[in-house]
Amino acid sequence: MKAPNLLAVPGRSARAAALHAGRAGMLGIATLRALAHPRRYALETVQHAKFIGLDSLPLVLLMGALSGAVMAQQTMYQLSQGLPREIVAGGVVGGMLTELGPVLTAVVLAGRVGAAIGAELGTMKVTNQIDALLTMGRDPVVELVVPRVVAGTLILIPLVMLANAMGIFSGYVTSVGILGLSTGEYVDGAKGYYHHGALIFSLVKAVAYGFAITFISSHVGLRASGGAAGVGRTATRAVVAIIVSIMVLDTVLGPVYKTLT
Amino acid sequence: MIRIIGVHKWLGGRPVLSGVDLDVREGETLAIMGPSGTGKSVLLKHIVGLFDPDAGDILVDGISVPSADRAEMAAIRTRTAYVFQNSALFDSMTVRGNLLMGLPPGFCRGRAARCEELVRAALDHVNLDPEVLTLLPAELSGGMQRRVAIARAIIGKRRYVLYDEPTTGLDPVNATRINRLIARVSEEVDATSIVVTHDVESAFFLADRIALLSDGVVAAEGTPQQLRETDNRAVREFLDAAPARGPA
Repeated sequence: MKAPNLLAVPGRSARAAALHAGRAGMLGIATLRALAHPRRYALETVQHAKFIGLDSLPLVLLMGALSGAVMAQQTMYQLSQGLPREIVAGGVVGGMLTELGPVLTAVVLAGRVGAAIGAELGTMKVTNQIDALLTMGRDPVVELVVPRVVAGTLILIPLVMLANAMGIFSGYVTSVGILGLSTGEYVDGAKGYYHHGALIFSLVKAVAYGFAITFISSHVGLRASGGAAGVGRTATRAVVAIIVSIMVLDTVLGPVYKTLT
Repeated sequence: MIRIIGVHKWLGGRPVLSGVDLDVREGETLAIMGPSGTGKSVLLKHIVGLFDPDAGDILVDGISVPSADRAEMAAIRTRTAYVFQNSALFDSMTVRGNLLMGLPPGFCRGRAARCEELVRAALDHVNLDPEVLTLLPAELSGGMQRRVAIARAIIGKRRYVLYDEPTTGLDPVNATRINRLIARVSEEVDATSIVVTHDVESAFFLADRIALLSDGVVAAEGTPQQLRETDNRAVREFLDAAPARGPA
């Protein structure tokens, strides 16, 4: 009897991962190259910015508000013993700017936008619409990928900033309305914590996550196969890949914060 | 002129094309006929560079498709139009948007009136009313979608129009309409057409010449009359097995 090859499965997985990485690299290069012709994708970019940004705004604001309220309560309950109560505002501002604002906005958009882009491009792939573009002498990267990536990368900046602002405001309402802080204590605590480095860090994360969400979902969508079931799998795969990437980026970007403070 | 020279292609671990040689002459309508799964669509996709051959060459007006650089491929694709089996209309765009995509990129910049003229002319060629221009593909019947796909293929006045199973999935009435439309349009726009089909009646109605693809090679080639009269076993088997659909 032939012995099972224990290295076969990891070997295949490693090969598939390397292939994926290679293809993503090629798409990245093509995307960067296509950026040089803004006239070809400007109009489409505006339309996608509306879908990614404006249509996601209510959900992003809700998530911001809830996370600010949670942050205020948890800081009060867990950290304020023996410390000045202003630390609640510091916890909210710090938590929102450096973590919750960017990460939760990105997770919301991974589900809402990442799945939509993956499914849309996946459907185009399995119904030959991508091939149709190619036969018309049009570049799918310019027509489909670049407008989404540019829109996502740019629009996440104001979205994250609004989520941050909403979280800090709801943290204030919770602190004053439920936890018994005065407005002065909250404002002093927020001012005491705030520094430009945290805001810049938030912006850096917004850009990185915006790019990751739209680029990964486009890449996965363009690799779709297998009809309707394949499109479903593609949407799921896009969301999973984006969320993993967000957490990886969150970890990798950690040291950047240190350089900004 | 399109020349297909000794094209081999393996897909999914099995040979699909095993040395196809075929010339498509200027101005003619060539039907590539054969049973399902014999690589007809795969062969057609090689002509526009959607597939690269494992061996052999495809020349479009003397340019080798597999070894074409970006500029050469762009040149090839401005000369060819491809009508997909499922129409492949862009479902997020209206009919007008789809037709405009058939024009070269940037063509309509500053020429909106001219483009609108071309859109209406293309629609007129395929007997569709201008009212459909604002509709989405999902709002059209299968036959109308196929007609919009043909209009999108001819709007740019390309030299070569490739039809991939243009009547598949249509009822006999619509299939006949599409066949007549292709015949008329090919004449009106003066294009060289390649029609891939497993529908014998379509092939005999449309083609100046027919090539039968079998076991990955061109088993027979000739005018419809020559194929009707041939003793070639592959042709006889295919024609005898084909169901009759009524006059095209």
